[in-house]
Amino acid sequence: MAEPATVPRPRSYYTQPERLDVRGVDVAYRRKGSGEPALYLHGAGFTRMWLPFHEALSQSVDLVCPEHPGYGETAMPEWLDSFEDLVIHYAELLDTLGLDRVHLIGYSLGGWIAAELATFYPERLRTLTLITPAGLRVEGKPIANLFAMTPEQHWTTVFNDLTNLPSVLPDYESLDEIVHLYGEATTIARIAWERRYNLALERRLGRVLCPALVVAAENDRLIPNAHAERYAELLPHARLETIPETGHALVVEQPERVATAIADFV
Amino acid sequence: MNKLDFYLFHLMPYPFIPPGEEIESTWVTLPNSHYDPKVGHRLYNEYLEQLVAGERFGYDGLCVNEHHQNAYGTMPSPDVMAAYLTAKTERIPIGIIGNALPLHRNPVRVAEEIAMLDVISGGRIISGFVRGTGMEYHSYASNPSYSRERFWEAHDLIVKAWTQPGPFDWEGKHFRLSYVNPWPRPLQQPHPPIWLPGTGSFETIEKAAQLRYPFMMVFAPQWFTKASYDMYRRSAEKHGYEASPKQLAAAIPTYVAETEEQAHREAKPHIMWLFQNGLKIPPYHWFPPGYMSKSSFANMLGAKVKHNMKDHWELTYEELLEERYIIVGCAETVIERLSELTDELGAGIVLGAGGHIGSMPHWLVMKNIQLMAEQVIPQFRDADGKPGWARHEPLGAATVTEHAATVAAPARRPVARLDGDGLVETQLAYIPEVGANGRQAEAAPGRRTPGGPS
Repeated sequence: MAEPATVPRPRSYYTQPERLDVRGVDVAYRRKGSGEPALYLHGAGFTRMWLPFHEALSQSVDLVCPEHPGYGETAMPEWLDSFEDLVIHYAELLDTLGLDRVHLIGYSLGGWIAAELATFYPERLRTLTLITPAGLRVEGKPIANLFAMTPEQHWTTVFNDLTNLPSVLPDYESLDEIVHLYGEATTIARIAWERRYNLALERRLGRVLCPALVVAAENDRLIPNAHAERYAELLPHARLETIPETGHALVVEQPERVATAIADFV
Repeated sequence: MNKLDFYLFHLMPYPFIPPGEEIESTWVTLPNSHYDPKVGHRLYNEYLEQLVAGERFGYDGLCVNEHHQNAYGTMPSPDVMAAYLTAKTERIPIGIIGNALPLHRNPVRVAEEIAMLDVISGGRIISGFVRGTGMEYHSYASNPSYSRERFWEAHDLIVKAWTQPGPFDWEGKHFRLSYVNPWPRPLQQPHPPIWLPGTGSFETIEKAAQLRYPFMMVFAPQWFTKASYDMYRRSAEKHGYEASPKQLAAAIPTYVAETEEQAHREAKPHIMWLFQNGLKIPPYHWFPPGYMSKSSFANMLGAKVKHNMKDHWELTYEELLEERYIIVGCAETVIERLSELTDELGAGIVLGAGGHIGSMPHWLVMKNIQLMAEQVIPQFRDADGKPGWARHEPLGAATVTEHAATVAAPARRPVARLDGDGLVETQLAYIPEVGANGRQAEAAPGRRTPGGPS
């Protein structure tokens, strides 16, 4: 039997995406705002939504929010195998949009992709912002195993302040939604099941000479704070900023504060 | 009565663990501090004794399998267990059902070990291939999203290693080897029988039928197994043949005792250990992302909701009996139920009928094995009651005289250069008049020529 013909929609914040053909990949993306262009790479969740965080950030930049191959309404291509594939994909996406240099912003999984992209194409970055990024190994501080949690454990690990959780919580009554989330999890498994960090980043990040901002949660229980701190050490021109009273889901927990921190930086 | 082959199957659980409701999982994360190697020493040896006994009791085969880092089945290397059984038995086939191909870095290792066992055992090995459960992908850090691809590439590589002359190179997506050239080659030709025990993804069933590999479902309700076997038969038709019952195996834990009441009294606690504790597995361990295709995952969820299927550890004893996960009773009942079940499924092989279940003590297992052999199995056999393996000659000579009489001399003889004598045949070199002139050894008397005596 075939996959569901349409991707299920989340209960809140759904907006119809625009489509863009990036060398054969039919990319779903959302774009809003004016000013300097900024490419935002999402994390391993919160797809198909234009969140208050996006809205707030679009007040200060021309915000481009594509959905990764295998996430949201961008289908998973057969060839997707590694972070390098995504790096090339995003370089091509910038080419397709005619964007030469951008502010690059990545959150969580997207932070890892952004860090990789920055090391391969440092000249295309105006600035780099990493929000609770994955991608590094910090000895003694492993990232919690996202693949071995019940939904309840997942959300209570990711959120410290649960106030805004209901607005983004997937509809677990919907089989289509559960299957869709299984597909999104398959995408991250494909690229990161064995390789949960890239040791090469420790050397390569030294190539990223643009101004950088690392945004940390007050207490991230998924990706321990030591990871954000380590990024700030490895990036030559980085500043670390911590958003009080937040956990890993800081972009949903405190959208205004995170957006303001980035707006003040870019 | 339909004819059935009976395979004695063991999981080798370690049942001395906390109750299922107190642990996250019997797999992956159950602390191995619960494992006492001294207890394990006794268990392994009792379990192996039970399997070995299967030959004398007249079963058709003995089966072991591969699982990792859990208390449900403590055979991380099924080939090690098969080696033990090979040494302790004479004629009975040994099914490794199977090696979990995607978990391992080099499939040639599997090709080599199976060939070793096949040669040592005189061609008694059945080589099952499995993907391994979802739990294994957590325990072995193998990428579940590549599981199916790795499985089939490893399968193709192993079959080629067994059947095509080496060395050849293998340039696959997941495996790359410059020299595939395993020594030994298997004794059974073209290769040992391949079985595909599965949990029933449509993709696996389709491919198994296409390749005519025997297929089986494990720990599933009867209706679900039936649907899978019907699909196998339809796929077989699509590929132009009619599937034989010997291509479909029913894995059904079965317990027989003197009376109905006695059977339930003896079996129930151990069966409930198996389902409540051995199969206490959270969904995120069962179904790591990509282990199933999205469509298979959707179909499974759909079926689960539609048929209100419970997880294994939630099933009651009555439900296990009703849905034919298990068969328990006196001989008459067991014969009737087994006959009905295999008729309905069109299965000609049963696994787990008689033998160890869950937390059973040794004596109870031996009783089950014996009563099955005396009162149940003969009903599904020809009048002489013989197991299948007693009806044909084994491969490989059992004695040196038989070898000398029937096996052609090797195409070449071992030679070496000794003390300036030139190339001498090492096996005759100690005889001065022969060793001094090794080349004449080709015509030496007393050596068998190919074809044996007339």
